Amino acid sequence: MNDKVKIYLLDVFFGWYLAITFHRVFYYHVLLSTDSPDFTWNLMLPYVGVAIIFSVMCLLTGASLGKKIISSTQKGTWQNEFAINIAWILILMTFVTSWVVTKVNIIQMFDHERLNAAGRLFSSLLQPNWNILQKAIMAMIETIYLAFLSTAIALPVSFLLGFLSARNLMKGNPISFALYNILRIITNFTRSIEPLVWAVIFTVWVSSGPFPGMLALMIHTIASLAKQYSEQIEDIDAGPMEAIEATGARPIQVIWFAVVPQIVIPFLSFTIYRWDINVRMATIIGLVGGGGIGSMLIQYQMLSQWNEVGLIVLIIALVVWLMDYLSAKIREALR
Amino acid sequence: MEKLVHISNLQKIYPNGTHALKGVSLDIYKGEFLSIIGLSGSGKSTLLRCINRLHEPTSGTIEFSGKDVTHISGSELRQYRKSIGMIFQHFNLIKRMSVMDNVLSGHLGSIGTFASLVGKFPGSVKEKALNNLDIVGIREKADLRADALSGGQQQRVAIARTLMQNPELLLADEPVASLDPATSHSVMKYLEIMNKQHGCTVVCNLHFLSLVRQYSTRVIALRAGEIVYEGKPQDITEEWFKSIYGEDAVEVEIE
Ligand SMILES: Nc1ncnc2c1ncn2[C@@H]1O[C@H](COP(=O)(O)OP(=O)(O)OP(=O)(O)O)[C@@H](O)[C@H]1O
Ligand SMILES: [Mg+2]
Repeated sequence: MNDKVKIYLLDVFFGWYLAITFHRVFYYHVLLSTDSPDFTWNLMLPYVGVAIIFSVMCLLTGASLGKKIISSTQKGTWQNEFAINIAWILILMTFVTSWVVTKVNIIQMFDHERLNAAGRLFSSLLQPNWNILQKAIMAMIETIYLAFLSTAIALPVSFLLGFLSARNLMKGNPISFALYNILRIITNFTRSIEPLVWAVIFTVWVSSGPFPGMLALMIHTIASLAKQYSEQIEDIDAGPMEAIEATGARPIQVIWFAVVPQIVIPFLSFTIYRWDINVRMATIIGLVGGGGIGSMLIQYQMLSQWNEVGLIVLIIALVVWLMDYLSAKIREALR
Repeated sequence: MEKLVHISNLQKIYPNGTHALKGVSLDIYKGEFLSIIGLSGSGKSTLLRCINRLHEPTSGTIEFSGKDVTHISGSELRQYRKSIGMIFQHFNLIKRMSVMDNVLSGHLGSIGTFASLVGKFPGSVKEKALNNLDIVGIREKADLRADALSGGQQQRVAIARTLMQNPELLLADEPVASLDPATSHSVMKYLEIMNKQHGCTVVCNLHFLSLVRQYSTRVIALRAGEIVYEGKPQDITEEWFKSIYGEDAVEVEIE
């Protein structure tokens, strides 16, 4: 695309953004303190009109933020100053809009009644109900094992995928390179979906409980580990591969003797760290019905039994801290 | 003299367009110690890697013991590589493995895949590995991790590794370029032993003319992918030296 066209389109976008935020957010919410009227596509027309006028003005005067971004404006001119001010206004309006959209309400936060409620909550959290200790420990164990199983099942799959999506091993011939590209797309897509979302999908699929939680973590772990593994493989020293190849070894022997020894330690360390992450994730996933300590937490929370919630939070904090400490120690020892 | 390798009009163009070899024709004779000299980037490494087919030649032919090996593939290619040893400037050992396992890896071309993956090398092979470590004088280091050794010792492990192949030809790509002068001689001495006692033909990329004169029986010089000199090491005159390395070059001695 031509630079002039890019500049113009950018200015149209800035003009439109300013018009819509000034009118719908600043005018209605800040000045009038009401809600803005319901959105209809027809409402867009005047904003676009303003945007076009704005961008034409920018084009004619040369006072254009688009121009400053794409090419440049000369320092010290009023056009340059103007473009900088527009940028500041854009940032400011984005902040105001975020504030309005998030429904920030500081006054309510420090309201007398609310403060009392929060006080009651925190004091009961600090007085955990030890009667459910055994039940909570069992749920925590379920979570840890769930995390372990998801990591353990994912491990061999990621291991294989790691090799198949390592550029340096796959770029050799067109078929393997095509496979590499396909696998990259699939794992990138899978990884971009959060485990929480996978958990929702699997709870619909196989009903709620630890099993769908395990599946959700497993899917995400496969994609994440495959990525980390393949990056590690791409990073290895090619020299030993060349040397082993030169002895007349088969490709699988080259991988086993020249690639694997270079990657086992980093692989182990990634895997342990992933288990650690998965224990935390398993807790969160429990909140949407993935079983274990998370599910228990959300049940007591819905019944407003804060002393029980207090105990569960305590156990989670303890285990997460312990896992974190242990996995860091193990990874250090492996180095 | 009997020809071991016959290379004719060898061209190598890398995928990025670099024309590394521009029609190299060369005969390598059985039992000789051939040195290849030339500036950095002149194509020395490329030539060696084309010979054992780590790199695919773009055109031209390579014959080994009278057999065309330019386009062989699969097990035929592996069989061919097995008869050619190679050592490298950076040794290319597997750092995390023991010296012994590194030496054993030279036997990979002659052992079943499964047996090699589970590390089941026959006793006789292990004996041979120890024996090879003896030849290069570091048998007592067999159980150490390869990266615990000094540079010179690592290169000797690499030599022991290629000895496992009983190679007919040894390709050495600047084998002493990352070693100090004294260590350089100890490594070159083992190449000489392979050449003289094991009857292995040696092709060696070198940077120091003093080493070339001392160890090799013949020398070729590459410049920008072409052979510009071929002859006896003693015959490299000042004039030739300047034409190979450029007008401003001064010879550095290594003792
Ligand atoms: N894998 C590769 N891909 C692309 N170009 C390469 C590759 N390997 C080498 N080249 C290029 O080919 C030319 C010859 O390189 P080569 O490594 O054979 O030179 P050399 O004589 O061994 O040099 P040195 O003394 O630095 O080792 C150089 O221009 C180099 O940049
Ligand atoms: Mg080189």
